[in-house]
Amino acid sequence: MAENKSIPKTMWEPIAHEERNKEKISRPSVTYWQDAWRRLKQNKLSMLGLIMIAILFTLAIFGPMIANHTYSDQDLNLTNIPPRFEIYKIDKDTFVHVRRDYTLIQVSEDGEILGKVEETEDNIFQRYRAYKIEGKDIKLDYSLAAKNKDKPNAKKFMLLSDGEELIPYKKVFNKTYWFGTDALGRDLFIRVLYGARISLTVAIVAALVNFFIGVLYGGISGYMGGKVDNVMMRIVDIVSTVPLMLYVIMLMVVMGAGLKTIIIALGLTYWVRMARIVRGQVLSLKEQEYVLAAKTLGASTWRILIRHLIPNAMGPIIVALTMQIPSAIFTESFLSFIGLGVSAPMASWGTLASDALGGLRTYAYQLFFPSIAICITMLAFNFLGDGLRDALDPRLRK
Amino acid sequence: MNKVNNNVLLEVKNLKKYFPVRKGFFGGETQYVKAVDDITFHINKGETFGLVGESGCGKSTTGRTIIRLYDVTDGEVIFDGAELGKMRESELKPFRKRIQMIFQDPYASLNTRMTVGDIIGEPIDIHNLATGKKRQEIIYDLLERVGLNKEHANRYPHEFSGGQRQRIGIARALAVEPDFIICDEPISALDVSIQAQVVNMLEDLQKEMGLTYLFIAHDLSMVKHISDRIGVMYLGKMAEIATSDELYTKPLHPYTQALLSAIPIPDPEVTRAKQREVLEGDVPSPLNPPSGCRFRTRCKYAMAKCAEVEPKLKDVGGGHMVACHLMDK
Repeated sequence: MAENKSIPKTMWEPIAHEERNKEKISRPSVTYWQDAWRRLKQNKLSMLGLIMIAILFTLAIFGPMIANHTYSDQDLNLTNIPPRFEIYKIDKDTFVHVRRDYTLIQVSEDGEILGKVEETEDNIFQRYRAYKIEGKDIKLDYSLAAKNKDKPNAKKFMLLSDGEELIPYKKVFNKTYWFGTDALGRDLFIRVLYGARISLTVAIVAALVNFFIGVLYGGISGYMGGKVDNVMMRIVDIVSTVPLMLYVIMLMVVMGAGLKTIIIALGLTYWVRMARIVRGQVLSLKEQEYVLAAKTLGASTWRILIRHLIPNAMGPIIVALTMQIPSAIFTESFLSFIGLGVSAPMASWGTLASDALGGLRTYAYQLFFPSIAICITMLAFNFLGDGLRDALDPRLRK
Repeated sequence: MNKVNNNVLLEVKNLKKYFPVRKGFFGGETQYVKAVDDITFHINKGETFGLVGESGCGKSTTGRTIIRLYDVTDGEVIFDGAELGKMRESELKPFRKRIQMIFQDPYASLNTRMTVGDIIGEPIDIHNLATGKKRQEIIYDLLERVGLNKEHANRYPHEFSGGQRQRIGIARALAVEPDFIICDEPISALDVSIQAQVVNMLEDLQKEMGLTYLFIAHDLSMVKHISDRIGVMYLGKMAEIATSDELYTKPLHPYTQALLSAIPIPDPEVTRAKQREVLEGDVPSPLNPPSGCRFRTRCKYAMAKCAEVEPKLKDVGGGHMVACHLMDK
């Protein structure tokens, strides 16, 4: 250290106070999550997804509370009314709508449903029905339907008022039942809202199962490594090789069909993918020096897992979660669609779609609304998931 | 700097650390990477023991095995009279407070999701040293001690430079008031200007707190500057141990000689005149090390005996130990 001797003593003195302030950081402290949120906000599509999910949750929670009837209230007089229909003017304030089964429903000019009109005569041989409305003789002649059976666009009926043929007055939206009614006269809008409740329940259950079982299982397996990891992952393999459908069918035998069965089946199997993802993350993270540092400090396995490994794997976990949720919703819809899910009169999007299948060619709107609901939810979660992946990806971090 | 006392703090006896490498599908024959193969040395209280060697020679593995990040394959690690090698994690906990480690990569050794205050506070929480206001005070005190401000406690690691982060790592190691710190290449990831800053700080802290260091590095001039005694490792074996002055003035092992001749000297006249010893070939695979002396494949003095008999580490006087057959004459 002979070289050092030539340096004067004064140079080794502590630096002055002003110099010390050089260590100060003027930039405001930004946490990982603030940074991610800032980046997520720039992604319009995922913000749209987030807003749609928020609206969906609000509607699902509060919609049925405000509505004046429930999913099971039915009115057999008002079945299969579409959300938009043609009306015929009978009198100054009297309008009617001709349903696809050639019966009349009295409506107001802006599309409120007033009730079914009772026929005075129903002649099935001559194929006409006679009504008396506001002193007028109305005749609904549907004999054309049989003649034009093979011509889908031909006229199927004639509405005659005192012998004079009426032409459609205008097309209006259904003000009483926004989405129309189903084959039992139940409000489709309310049923779709109840369906959203079921779908979101499934989403929440899937998220919780993923988070608590999947993350912890994967974390423990990855951190322990060796034989423990091997055994735990083989269990995962076994769980994941049995199809979900089989679990549901087997559970149905024991518990009967219903939301409970689906939730238990999801709970039994849905953590598997998350466990694999987290295990992979933990396997690479546990070799990081900060984990070794925690170990040398004497931190317990639990502490290392909760404080160090899982927070650092949070990005991929959140992304996987937003991708798993729509998949769970879709699974529930699918199971309900094939009749393994919620049972009548409870409505889920899947059962609504499957109920609509019978009258698909005549009442297509009954399939349209639940399908649109499924599509929007799936898209919203996927958009959000995509945006989150970009926002949380550490490779894009500056 | 050369305090000579016989107050041994750490003694490593015949330490071995093998990593299994599986061959074949059904786990048939298992081969081992002999990362650390039968090394013996000791470190006195209050001194700095430098450990040098090229990449992959087992320096870091030695450090990590001593602190029990790895399980010991064979041999003993005796710290202050207690054998750490066979202890279970629960028995080790009191020693976790006394032995600490500073890591190589200041970017990887701090958890990016925790504030600096929490990082430094973690050892305090683990060992239940203090809570609330007292914990806060200890953290502030540690930050000032490593030349940072109180305000830094609420910041996240990514807001700091490499040198500042390394100082945070040092503050974390100091939080438990350890006796012994393993510095695993603490300066090799830093700028040269920052290296001096950190090394000087380590020296100051040693004086203040009476610390003992195991300083692992491959930068020989830096090791010479900080260490009292130096051990030279080659392929999992200890080649030579001597006081740092003696090692530099009188290197006995051919490998040490080659290493020393590779130190650049900031004087063109000297450099031109100097004969550099260039080692031939690469380091052999630790999976299948050469028989006898491990250095013989690259040693210019290799004899027939070197391939047959493994040289033992022998004292050639004054605590200078060499493992080489050339010393037998």
